[in-house]
Amino acid sequence: MAAKPPPPVRALSPWTYLLRNPRRIAPVFAIQALVTTLLVLIITPTNAFEATARANIRPLEVFTIVSPRVRRDFDEELVGILDDNVAQEQRVKAKMFWLRTPMIVGEGYAPMIALPREVWPQFLDKLSSTLIEGRMPESGQDGAVLHEAVVRARGMKLGDKFGQLVNPQDATPGRFTLVGVLGGYARIGLASYAYASEPYFVLARRPEFRVIYAREGRKAASDTYLRDAKHEDGEPAFRVVDATFVEKRIAKTLANVPVIIGFITFSVGVVVALVISLLNVISFQVRVDEFGVYLAVGHQRWPLVRKLAIETAAVAVSAWVVGLAVGLAGVWLYRDLWLEPRGIVMTVVDPRPLLFSLSVPVFSTLTGAIALGRRLHRMDPVTVIQRRGV
Amino acid sequence: MTDDVLLHAHELSLEYLDGSRRVRAVDEVSLTIRRGEFVGLVGPSGSGKSSLLFLLAGLRAPTSGHVELLGTVLPQKADLSAALRRRHIGFLFQEPFLVPYLDVRENALSHALDAEAEARLLTLAEAIGMGTMLSERPHRLSGGERQRASLLRALANAPELVLADEPTANLDHITGRSVMALLREQTRDAALLVVTHDPDMLDGADRILFLRDGKLQKA
Repeated sequence: MAAKPPPPVRALSPWTYLLRNPRRIAPVFAIQALVTTLLVLIITPTNAFEATARANIRPLEVFTIVSPRVRRDFDEELVGILDDNVAQEQRVKAKMFWLRTPMIVGEGYAPMIALPREVWPQFLDKLSSTLIEGRMPESGQDGAVLHEAVVRARGMKLGDKFGQLVNPQDATPGRFTLVGVLGGYARIGLASYAYASEPYFVLARRPEFRVIYAREGRKAASDTYLRDAKHEDGEPAFRVVDATFVEKRIAKTLANVPVIIGFITFSVGVVVALVISLLNVISFQVRVDEFGVYLAVGHQRWPLVRKLAIETAAVAVSAWVVGLAVGLAGVWLYRDLWLEPRGIVMTVVDPRPLLFSLSVPVFSTLTGAIALGRRLHRMDPVTVIQRRGV
Repeated sequence: MTDDVLLHAHELSLEYLDGSRRVRAVDEVSLTIRRGEFVGLVGPSGSGKSSLLFLLAGLRAPTSGHVELLGTVLPQKADLSAALRRRHIGFLFQEPFLVPYLDVRENALSHALDAEAEARLLTLAEAIGMGTMLSERPHRLSGGERQRASLLRALANAPELVLADEPTANLDHITGRSVMALLREQTRDAALLVVTHDPDMLDGADRILFLRDGKLQKA
């Protein structure tokens, strides 16, 4: 039987070193993976602010809410302006409230709308919302139905009362009783317009709103019309609460988040890179003989620098991948076990931590490769050989 | 110079500063080494033997003079002579300097330049009794075996010139003589220059050069 040919020699391959020296590269690998994991765990939950806010305003993809900007009520002129909107399908009188929901830090707001009893079925149908628990409110009564995520977020149960008359810290004026829970994608609450308009009650002082339904495919045109509408004297006619308006407010509120994350990530990246290059230099000490002999017997410096750079990059990239995987698993658990039960939405696969955490392998590779490259560049093979010969 | 001249050193000098003192480690040494020659270089500690060896290999730049390897003047910078060194010179050091995570075969072939090196290595390994140890890592070898492994590395490219710096210093006498015998046997077609403290290791040398205070005393 013919002897089995030996495997090809890849003595100088970076992979040969990496695969045969796992304990030597473990500290560098572990630090980078750990830092990547931490960055993912820290950065990803910050998208919960935006994700929850966006979930809360999804109903505004179906309708738009307007209120008089300078006048107290919808007088004949304002109604006339509304009816001149050719993209409008229907308008419904309403009152609007915001329900405060706890976030990881701070609070989010979900809309609750008080509408006349007769339009509730149509309203829920347009939002694909259904009653999944309890009952619908009675007209003129303080009952309210809230979305299940809002109920979870506020830790409520059927029969609970809420509003500023119950808790002065609450953002919702008046007093309501939770009588039902809504399911569906739209985080909306619904209450009786008649109740919200009681003259003896604080709710009567809430400004009038109109819920505007646009014709099929004409929502953008309708919203543009409403935003641009003016009184005869040139004053804007309406305060328009549409998805664009709220998104702008969200963007403004969260404007500094990327700056803060960027600063934290950059600082962490730089510190980690310095630590990694220090560890690389320390672990290179035990390889001085190896590279000294390579240089002495006639290897060129550049391929050896490239070998070291590839080794450094391979460790950095694989640590980044492992760190990401662990981080994503942690974020996934965090969302499922902690955030979702509290009605907080978070996107697990968020491009920002992926992008920001890239600074760890990039900085580490650059500083590590430069540090090792400089060591190798300055290395005198004769010194290495003679030191051992003493 | 005739065709069989491999290495020619012309009035080589090497000076360096030791604090404020100027040391002349090699002092106008000229020598020629021909194909097939076995040359010994002896001298007391600090006489400049290793310095001369490093000058001849192009690893140190001479203060004056020059070295010709196969008719080509070695450049001053060691990096520029690297390719010449790798192609034509085999090195044997006092320490084997084997890479610990590579086995004997990989260590030997880490400097190989051509596809025939593998076949050469197998023949050579059999000849020096390392045939069964090619897949061993250095930590499993004895001192003599490690030096023989480094001999495989030195000869992997079939060099025309082998430079050996105290190759037996860390071995016992018997093992040292055995390594020297193998070295000589495997470099019959090349030239061999051995720096040593121990004249016993130079049995069969064609010439023995004596260096004192950087000067070549006799040939």
